[in-house]
Amino acid sequence: MLLIPCPNCGERDEREFSYGGRAIKYPDLNALASIQAWHEVLHLRDNSTEVIRESWYHHSGCECWIEITRNLMTHEFES
Amino acid sequence: MQQRRLEFGGRINRSEPIYFSFNSQHLVGYAGDTLASALLANNINLVSRSIKYHRPRGIISAGLEEPSALVACADAHGVFIPNLKATEVRLKNGLVARSQNCWPSLTFDFGAVLQIGSAILTAGFYYKTFMWPRQWWHRVYEKLIRRIAGQGRITYDADSKRYDKRNINCDTLVIGSGPRGLRAAISAAESGAEVILVEQDQEFGGSALWEKRPIDSTPVDEWLDEKLSRLKQYSNCRSMINTLAFGQYDHGLILAVEQNPGNVEAIYWRIRAKKIVLETGATERPLVFANNDRPGIMLAASVRQYINRYAVKPGTRAFIAITDVDERQITEDALQQAGITVAGSLSEGEKIITTRGWQCLRRVQLVDKQGVEKSLNCDLMCVSNGWTPNAHLSAHLGDKQAFTSSPGESSNLQQHLSGRGKAFVDLQNDVTREDLELAVREGYDQIELAKRYTATGMGTDQGKTSWTNAIVELARISGKDANAIGLTSFRPPYSPVSFGALVGADTGAQMTAVRRTPFHRIFSESGCVFQTSGDWLYSRYFSNDSNETMDQAIRREVLAVRNGVGCVDMSTLAKVDVKGRDALEFLSRVYCNNLDSLKPGRLRYVLMLREDGILYDDGTVTRLDDSHFLVTMTTANAARSWQWINKMSQLQWPDLDVQLTSVTDHWASLAIAGPESRKLLAELRPDFDIDKDSLPFASVRQGMLDKEIPCRVFTVSFSGELSYEINVPAGFASRLFSRVLESGSPYGITPYGLETLDVLRIEKGHISVGTEIDGRTTPADLELGKMVSGKKGFIGSSLLQRPALKLHDRPQLVGLKPADGKTPIPPAALLTAAPWQAGKIQSSIGKLTAAVESPTLGHSIALALLNNGHQRMNEKLWAVSPLNNQSVEVIVGPNCCYDIEGSRLHG
Repeated sequence: MLLIPCPNCGERDEREFSYGGRAIKYPDLNALASIQAWHEVLHLRDNSTEVIRESWYHHSGCECWIEITRNLMTHEFES
Repeated sequence: MQQRRLEFGGRINRSEPIYFSFNSQHLVGYAGDTLASALLANNINLVSRSIKYHRPRGIISAGLEEPSALVACADAHGVFIPNLKATEVRLKNGLVARSQNCWPSLTFDFGAVLQIGSAILTAGFYYKTFMWPRQWWHRVYEKLIRRIAGQGRITYDADSKRYDKRNINCDTLVIGSGPRGLRAAISAAESGAEVILVEQDQEFGGSALWEKRPIDSTPVDEWLDEKLSRLKQYSNCRSMINTLAFGQYDHGLILAVEQNPGNVEAIYWRIRAKKIVLETGATERPLVFANNDRPGIMLAASVRQYINRYAVKPGTRAFIAITDVDERQITEDALQQAGITVAGSLSEGEKIITTRGWQCLRRVQLVDKQGVEKSLNCDLMCVSNGWTPNAHLSAHLGDKQAFTSSPGESSNLQQHLSGRGKAFVDLQNDVTREDLELAVREGYDQIELAKRYTATGMGTDQGKTSWTNAIVELARISGKDANAIGLTSFRPPYSPVSFGALVGADTGAQMTAVRRTPFHRIFSESGCVFQTSGDWLYSRYFSNDSNETMDQAIRREVLAVRNGVGCVDMSTLAKVDVKGRDALEFLSRVYCNNLDSLKPGRLRYVLMLREDGILYDDGTVTRLDDSHFLVTMTTANAARSWQWINKMSQLQWPDLDVQLTSVTDHWASLAIAGPESRKLLAELRPDFDIDKDSLPFASVRQGMLDKEIPCRVFTVSFSGELSYEINVPAGFASRLFSRVLESGSPYGITPYGLETLDVLRIEKGHISVGTEIDGRTTPADLELGKMVSGKKGFIGSSLLQRPALKLHDRPQLVGLKPADGKTPIPPAALLTAAPWQAGKIQSSIGKLTAAVESPTLGHSIALALLNNGHQRMNEKLWAVSPLNNQSVEVIVGPNCCYDIEGSRLHG
């Protein structure tokens, strides 16, 4: 059970958050030619054991979405 | 009369007798006793029968490592809780305890005949023996084995005891209050840190409660008193007894259960600590020799604990078999002070051949270096093969343990002798040395394999006294190094925790939140029957009188909406107020519809797609002003959709100027629907024009009703009839409903609920989340392709273009009616080309998403997702329900089967 550093509320228990998955940056919404770009962003993920950038929603706190970097092996957060 | 109680000493309170019963025998102990110490004080050591061979078993230890003294105890409601360790049960007045695993009685146990055939009851016996004939497994063998095997019997009654959950934080958490734990807690408290000290025992002190060696050159009792009184002085130190820390998790989280805190049965604590100090001590290992399970054979430190802490003599004549010299000495001292005769001590080179005795220990047989056998009378044997650290909590986070020296070599006693009876490695699961030998012979020489094959280390004690011995034995048998045998993984809980404690108070009505709409009170006064829908308690239907069935009520409600006017609560729809310079741009990216052409005062039915182009949610966008919108989203997706649009505005497009506010709870929303609804609205005296041209379909007006109820009226329809959705501030809900009923009575106003709402929308072929919006369909699949704007980009616009989503044979939404015009279509049926025939396989070409009896049309109708459905109009197919062995021939038609042109919408 993680202790997540919320920039607004400080370190809070994981149960106050819901997980939003990997932090992704959307490709261009408009271009039809971007099917491949969307496919890569949405479906093709590295399954690394290193750090990932991920999003969390602090539903029982400030109701803000945050993006943080977590080490998947140690659960250490980097800001 | 406590025959085995010492006159002096110990930490029990002789002035407070405690009355209890064991197997219907009425007994007395003292405050401070455990059930085990009180039984020993009453000269009772035969406590239970073993799981497999039904051998007599006694008390081995004095703590939670106890493998064999398992009992069932009645709680305050007379319900017996099975598999409690007698060494952990705190004695209290009126305690009723009984033995398990024996019939008809503990002393005469019929199951003990299993010992006669025990030579064949080896590891894997069940797997190997009950293979044939195969059909007999369920019918005969399993029932038979279940009767004989297993531990105590559980009750099927609900647990009526009360539990609680709490959270707490601290700087330093010290687990274990032995001498080292006390020192750690005190020095942490001295530094000013917020400290929590937890102790699973009923007293602080750990081994200082029974080991008589001085600490810091101070007599141990004095030392302990001084430390405990110092601990009390620190207001920054919270000390908790009866609190078992059972698991360690990431980022300093410890889970613990506090037993008997007073007003509840137990409290489940979630403790977050910046630093955790594990002072969890060690567990003593028994010796493995033939017949090492007789009642009277006990761990040496436990014997000292019973003598020094509980003032109990566990026997009168003791034999000592302890590997460590110092421990041998202090045990002898303790025995002599208690007046227990030391019959002998196992010396270097001597081996134990076996023990004798019927239901308790009577004699031990030894052989010395020269091979000379001798026999000694004794009723107590103090055994120790060394100590194993309780490192479970650190192992929960993945820390690995290893042997630095072979645990077998450190022992100077050679106990291995075979052939004269069972030598138990795991007393709780009746695993013997022979079982482990068999496991190695059959290839299960890794500890994880041997554990599963023999059950070593399983059960309520999780092998606390057996796992090290099992590894030593497996290493010896297979000729490998102990580290090559491996360690089993320790997982939480460290010791059993009741489900009641983990659930806490979250049972019954408190299990989940209940949300009620603003109309709830006045609805319940109007004959409303409610149902749960997510967290909501939502109106299902309204009952006219008690003789009316639900089906009759639905029929009445549907016909009222189609022919007169009805009203329904729409308050559970999620409502989001969207404001800002870029509000239109934001909504245009979130929804697939073209919104640029939406004028202030008008609204539009909208669809939200996922990033992959699949339909996610539907709703409405109302333009209240140039940069002010009100969005509704479906009830089922409300929380997720709110999170989703916030994610978009906060993470994806923080550059857009848009403010989102959830206003779901601010508005009470009542839809009036039916051909008479405009007349009814006029009766409510709105201060704005409501004729067809002033308030057309898909628009909104704000104003007042009766000059005093502020409102927004939306012309939007789920029923297909002329309909007005009246939103008023939540506090006006009852007033609005009363006014609608009162003014509507000339038009036959009929309140309706979720069931009728569903029938009306199925008649109209309107889609719903969870049935047609099922996470696989696109707008085109549901005949809504026209709504997808081709002129702009939105979430899902790219991946919606994937070729697979455009194939012509995708499941598409169609309507169905029975070919004969009358047979009911079975719900949840599959669509096939031929009728269902048992035993004959045919593939389905579609599935029903909804099926109801339509009061409007007078026959059954259904919606279905049918492969290539849009090209199959008027085809005849079969709706089959293999579960009901039912096939109904149906005709494919458009999904909307009532007022296809939609003229009724406009009134």
